[in-house]
Amino acid sequence: MVGIINAVPPENLDEYKNVFVFIELRNGQLSRPGLEMIGAGMNIARKANEKLIGVMIGDDISKLAEEAGAYGCDIVLGAEGKELKEFKTMPYSYIIGEFIQEFKPNILLIPATRNGRDLASRVAVRSKAGVTADCTELDIDMNGRILLAKRPTYGESTLAEILCKKHRPQMATARPGIFKIPDREEGRKFQKDIRKMKVPAEMMGKEIIEFIPKKSLDLTAAKIVVSGGLGLSKPQGFQILDELANQLGGVVGASRPTVDLGWIERDHQVGQTGQSVRPDLYIAAGISGKIQHIMGMKLSKNVISINTDPNAEINQYSDYIINDDLYKAIPALTEEIKKRKEAKKAD
Amino acid sequence: MGSNTNTGDFLVLEIIVMIKQVPDSQEVVIDPVTFTLNRGAARNVINPADENAIEAALRIKDKTNAHVTVITMGPPFAESALIDCMSRGVDDAVLVTDRAFAGADTYPTGLTLASTIKKLGKYDIIFAGEESTDSSTGHVGPGVAEFLGTDQASYTSESWYEDGFVYAKRELEDGTEVVKMKPPTLITVLTNANDPRRATLRKKIDAMKKGIKTMTLADLGMPPEWVGLRGSPTVVKSMRTIDEKKREGKKFKIEEIPKLVDELIEKKIISI
Ligand SMILES: Cc1cc2nc3c(=O)[nH]c(=O)nc-3n(C[C@H](O)[C@H](O)[C@H](O)COP(=O)(O)OP(=O)(O)OC[C@H]3O[C@@H](n4cnc5c(N)ncnc54)[C@H](O)[C@@H]3O)c2cc1C
Ligand SMILES: Nc1ncnc2c1ncn2[C@@H]1O[C@H](COP(=O)(O)O)[C@@H](O)[C@H]1O
Repeated sequence: MVGIINAVPPENLDEYKNVFVFIELRNGQLSRPGLEMIGAGMNIARKANEKLIGVMIGDDISKLAEEAGAYGCDIVLGAEGKELKEFKTMPYSYIIGEFIQEFKPNILLIPATRNGRDLASRVAVRSKAGVTADCTELDIDMNGRILLAKRPTYGESTLAEILCKKHRPQMATARPGIFKIPDREEGRKFQKDIRKMKVPAEMMGKEIIEFIPKKSLDLTAAKIVVSGGLGLSKPQGFQILDELANQLGGVVGASRPTVDLGWIERDHQVGQTGQSVRPDLYIAAGISGKIQHIMGMKLSKNVISINTDPNAEINQYSDYIINDDLYKAIPALTEEIKKRKEAKKAD
Repeated sequence: MGSNTNTGDFLVLEIIVMIKQVPDSQEVVIDPVTFTLNRGAARNVINPADENAIEAALRIKDKTNAHVTVITMGPPFAESALIDCMSRGVDDAVLVTDRAFAGADTYPTGLTLASTIKKLGKYDIIFAGEESTDSSTGHVGPGVAEFLGTDQASYTSESWYEDGFVYAKRELEDGTEVVKMKPPTLITVLTNANDPRRATLRKKIDAMKKGIKTMTLADLGMPPEWVGLRGSPTVVKSMRTIDEKKREGKKFKIEEIPKLVDELIEKKIISI
């Protein structure tokens, strides 16, 4: 426990070196957002000519550390123990806090997943450091080795650049699905430092009494999102979106009212109070394009809107507009894609 | 809380809810020229997730002998948000307000709120929203937990109190985690976790009569350089409008869908 104390900057900033990345594990595997952190951190570490240190916590992580090494960490710093198997804020933030004290990293990146955000703020307070949330661009200014952290704000309309000049480590959480996972290089040389850590009993925290897994739906990493709104007019409407998404190798998204009506689960919701997506292609079927929805999809590279209303707001954000009934347009699209696939197979 | 006569020596559960007043996003419009949000005209409302946090607290109070205090760090006009909370059944409200708090990032915000909670005395459960619509970091809740050294459960869809323990369901990307915690603990609540009850006129009249408490930096006994902009480790260096992609809005009829698919393939937007 740190007590209620202000963010005192360290005296000697030059003592702080190297880039820490938190490699989040999922189901005993390196998670995608975790691997993306290696990618985000690597660019910065290489530019600064510093070490990329992957931080990993879990049970029996030796093999996973090898993986992290192959993906580009110069050092994999781990804490392992049976009681560390599952992510828990209290022991995890304690351990990272200890690592920070010992290694004095200049930068610490954590994936902006739910557990990552849960952790980051506590680690920041513990280390009397600043943290920038949900970054989509990360770079380093070599003059002073300052982390340049950029994050979209105000409903993705503005990109704010946030610096933390005096406090260390300079922390950021990074949005999943943005940073590139580096190429894996079998047998790459790296250093492994895995410890059995003693976490004080009072830092063990909550008990996880149950975990109910669900099919992981990662809208944020999807290349294609096929979303439906109230224009579907009935829950079954999502079936035709499902078929199209399947044909395209995409996932299904939804506007909030369809979720509120129970037509589809909450984790499909795109928008201000749902998820922010930026796929190569976003298809909005029967969605009017209210600001709260737009906030969650306007960074999509390409947008197709299907709407019976020629003046629907969504059209302003669309590259392609089909001004017609989605019950005609969606099956027609699905059919066309199927046809192309079959033609290709026949080749 | 002296009215729990028939519960013997059963302790009153002290619940704190941290709320923030934000510009109503429904009224915030995108400026068609600069593409930034024009929040000038927007009404101030309770941050949506904080309404769910209040509801989560009140649901525990519905079942248990609890006393709910809502706190906010904000400008004097945030009083209206606090009165709104009390009109829904919250017992007390505290406005922490001081010019020195202006410009705070999440660190001094958490520091100020944690310090306020400590000053208020006993606390068993602290509720916060998952994130605020205007800064959307989700960091303030967990930060407060760290300052106070309490456990936490973030992104919860449900929480309850039973036999001296606090339980919560955390919604994660790949599943739901059910956790059991000893109080004191902090819970952050998802937007839409529940259906927040509305204010009633009677409670509103009571709330206006009772009024809110106000605290300033002096009451917290902290030096001014600890809080607000001066106490913030992060600085905003610049803001720029995200370049809106020019959207062509090419129109296609149903019969032209093959042509549309051609274009999508050609531009490598989809691959077959
Ligand atoms: C605090 C707050 C947060 C919010 N967060 C979100 C959020 O995260 N995500 C979100 O989506 N919304 C959010 N909303 C709600 C948002 O304001 C809109 O109400 C919502 O996005 C509208 O959903 P919709 O487009 O599906 O429905 P509608 O606005 O009702 O639009 C339906 C559209 O379907 C079209 N249509 C009808 N029939 C057909 C047909 N047969 N074929 C083709 N088109 C048809 C209509 O022309 C219309 O344009 C939020 C609101 C608030 C207040
Ligand atoms: N100024 C504040 N006063 C009270 N609570 C706050 C304040 N700022 C943030 N919070 C709480 O912290 C949550 C997360 O906010 P944020 O970290 O800004 O996304 C909000 O939903 C509130 O519950």
